[in-house]
Amino acid sequence: MSGFIAKLVTVVTLILTGFAVLGASMSTESAQLGYSGTGMQQVAFKEDLEALVAASQAPPAFPPAASDGPRSSTAYQNVKVLGHLSTGEFTRLMTAITTWVSPVEGCAYCHNTENLASDELYTKVVSRRMIEMTMAINANFKSHVKETGVTCYTCHRGQPVPNQIWFTAPESPYAARLVGDNAEQNQPAALAGMTSLPVDPLTPYLAGSEQIRVISTGALPDGNRASIKQTEWTYGLMMHMSTSLGVNCTYCHNTRSMAEWEQSPPARAVAFHGIRMVRHLNNEYLTPLTSVFPPARRGALGDAPKINCGTCHNGAFKPLLGAQMLKDYKELAAPYVPTATTAAAPPPAEPAPVDPAAAPALGTP
Amino acid sequence: MSEYQNIFTQIQVQGPPEHPIPIADQHWRTRGTFFSRLVGRIGSAQFGPIFLGGYGIASAFCFFIAFEIIGLNMWASVGWSPTEFVRQLPWLALEPPPPSLGLSLPPLNQGGWWLMAGFFLTVSILLWWLRTFQRAKALGMGTHVAWAYAAAIWLYLVLGFIRPVLMGSWGEAVPFGIFPHLDWTAAFSIRYGNLFYNPFHALSIAFLYGSTLLFAMHGATVLAVSQLGGDREVGQIVDRGTAAERGALFWRWTMGFNATFESIHRWAWWFAVLCPLTGGIGILLTGTVVDNWYLWAVKHNFAPQYPAVYETVPDPATQPLPYVVDPKEKS
Amino acid sequence: MSLLSFERRYRVRGGTLVGGDLFDFWVGPFYVGFFGVTTIFFSLIGTALILWAAAHGPTWNIWQINIEPPPLQYGLTFAPLMEGGLWQLITICAIGAFVSWALRQAEIGRKLGMGYHIPVAYSVAIFAYISLVVIRPVMLGAWGHGFPYGIFSHLDWVSNVGYQYLHFHYNPAHMIAVSFFFTTTLALSLHGSLILSAVNPQKGESVKGAEHEDTFFRDHIGYSIGALGIHRLGLFLALSAAFWSAICIIISGPFWTRGWPEWWTWWLSLPVWN
Repeated sequence: MSGFIAKLVTVVTLILTGFAVLGASMSTESAQLGYSGTGMQQVAFKEDLEALVAASQAPPAFPPAASDGPRSSTAYQNVKVLGHLSTGEFTRLMTAITTWVSPVEGCAYCHNTENLASDELYTKVVSRRMIEMTMAINANFKSHVKETGVTCYTCHRGQPVPNQIWFTAPESPYAARLVGDNAEQNQPAALAGMTSLPVDPLTPYLAGSEQIRVISTGALPDGNRASIKQTEWTYGLMMHMSTSLGVNCTYCHNTRSMAEWEQSPPARAVAFHGIRMVRHLNNEYLTPLTSVFPPARRGALGDAPKINCGTCHNGAFKPLLGAQMLKDYKELAAPYVPTATTAAAPPPAEPAPVDPAAAPALGTP
Repeated sequence: MSEYQNIFTQIQVQGPPEHPIPIADQHWRTRGTFFSRLVGRIGSAQFGPIFLGGYGIASAFCFFIAFEIIGLNMWASVGWSPTEFVRQLPWLALEPPPPSLGLSLPPLNQGGWWLMAGFFLTVSILLWWLRTFQRAKALGMGTHVAWAYAAAIWLYLVLGFIRPVLMGSWGEAVPFGIFPHLDWTAAFSIRYGNLFYNPFHALSIAFLYGSTLLFAMHGATVLAVSQLGGDREVGQIVDRGTAAERGALFWRWTMGFNATFESIHRWAWWFAVLCPLTGGIGILLTGTVVDNWYLWAVKHNFAPQYPAVYETVPDPATQPLPYVVDPKEKS
Repeated sequence: MSLLSFERRYRVRGGTLVGGDLFDFWVGPFYVGFFGVTTIFFSLIGTALILWAAAHGPTWNIWQINIEPPPLQYGLTFAPLMEGGLWQLITICAIGAFVSWALRQAEIGRKLGMGYHIPVAYSVAIFAYISLVVIRPVMLGAWGHGFPYGIFSHLDWVSNVGYQYLHFHYNPAHMIAVSFFFTTTLALSLHGSLILSAVNPQKGESVKGAEHEDTFFRDHIGYSIGALGIHRLGLFLALSAAFWSAICIIISGPFWTRGWPEWWTWWLSLPVWN
């Protein structure tokens, strides 16, 4: 019988050694997001984290320019948004934007090099609006971007078109036929993390303002008619958010109770404001540019390219892992105040008063 | 440890095929049989004969119709491309009608096919139940198989018929599809506040794991006494031999309690049957009687509480928003 | 009282694995043996530790008691008792008790001249438990990846760990495991039913034997696996369920850190589609 025990000990030792070696060879990092043992954790391969860090390096800031001297609005023609900057500051920002957005194409990507003031290239018109958008984000959406803010580079990363943009998906051609309707789901959905959830979970929520919340706030039925299919749309949006940020569901939720704010990590509130910010930006900045974009830049339905969580985040829980670029480009942090209609612009730094009539619509379902 | 443990049949003896017990409606039986040596390594090598019968043929026919409706809809949803059909098959589905159509008769391509496939599948399943019942009756045996099968039918009907009807929407039902039915399952749990807090779900899982445990215990016990004839269970039940005695004593000595060779099959039957039975109850109560299982657990004091490790924030939708929003906007 | 009518002739001393005849006796219906003693030792200490940990918790409500593993920051070291150290000790005791139990099964099976199927089968269950609380935590570098001991708190862990991978149903090993669980239960119901229906026939009929069993399933589905085969199949299905459950959690984290649905991209991009 001692032979049996010896064999047993050998086998157990081999197994133990096996997974110890295996474990050492596996290189993961873990972060704890909630109370111990609740499973609120994030596991990532060190290799992936290193790649993310490498991809999230902010370009070095240009040396500051003198703020005195003539204003660019007087020194140059057709300067509509950045006219309050000195010519030095203006040139510095233009140079920075070129390295952020079109380092290969150079100034000519937006400007007629014969006449820099001309608006003949659509890219210049879009850029101007995007500069306004950047300023609006930094001034009005501190609830999401905090003091870190965003610059052109946050999304563009050295490319004229950011990596992650989206268009409204056209309806399935089979929906109107006799057979084969897929109910806008049931195919590999890249925006929903490769599930068979709805293929375009963004249009209803990041362009439209459909109800995201589906879970009842009481134990017993109380008139909440949200269906399982509707839940799948919400789930699709959440898949998009998770994959865009490189986080899992427990980053924002204790999934034992997805709905309850008392259970949720504070990041969930940041994400809440992010959804509203993206929706606002798509409707106020991107969609109005539809006619400016040439057809080749538009989607299958002729809609303008739109932004989602991944446009800024690019797989990081904070874009550029929280690199502080904006502090070197304060001019992008000031809200754009059109010189002609100064009085009409609302003071955005102050919280807007909540319309009491709107509150029920905003409130819990 | 190296002695023979009767995991495989090492020497297969193949004689003429075994004949079935004669019955009144013998003419419905096929004649042909064939043998598979590979299958014979584990169990009986003989396949057939099979009893066809009216119920069986009708059931197979209905199943075929349902299968074709589902498959052809999936194929149509990729534009009849054979490659894409295979490539995307796990993602494809035949979806129930949109919830907006309630329980009305939907257009063919917006759930009509689903309703039809569901109808034929249900008819097929019910006809198969009749066949199960009838086959046992024809042999003078008990009808335990049929009633166990009825428990599974209960779960199926709750998911696809009873609950959707109670909820007033076919859209509540499960789509036919591999990944899509998993999406449905996950969304179902999310919508109703975490199914892990549904006590009937917990019971169903306990019976599922319990059944697996029981089959491991029972299968292992019988194999461990198979050299003493333990696999001839009916014989051991009516005329207890040393195999049954050792099997019983093993568990008695191990855990202080043992079943008999008959009663272990009653344990097995109830564990297996209670799995879909309690599961069906759990599904049926969801959305009809309870709308958020987590909050129901809080209400009834069985949800654990954890120390706070992060600052919780109030629902921003209840707070003044620091930016202008569209008044039509919903959360 | 505790002796069955036929039991006395089986209660023979000898045939132990270790310890000679030191603990070779019965207490009531229980056989003791060396591994019975170690089982009792680990179980008593483990239970006492659970009670101690519960006493330090906020509740005696059986559903709410929660004994959590250490925070991740302790890595693979010993944590202070009240910060998961008790969980570590309870885990050691649990493994000690489970392994003792398996060896006890081997010893009892040996005494009764039976095969070793039962301890082997039970070892697969132990492997699944060890996967959850030792193998995977070791591979991820922290005991804090183990699951907490509590009736509903362990379900919270399951929920959150599932959502760490966004949609756990897409985990291929989880799919296989669940399929095996369902199939095992189906097979168990068919087997249990068949034996009951043979032993409890219709009124006036005599008890049926193997010919009827085989005929029923051949008539019904065209194949009867047979009395021996069904136990092989059942054991295989049950053990596969436990084995793939262990695999599905071991690969979640150490081998795959993203959403499980994304894992299926390889299928979509196979070269055969072009």
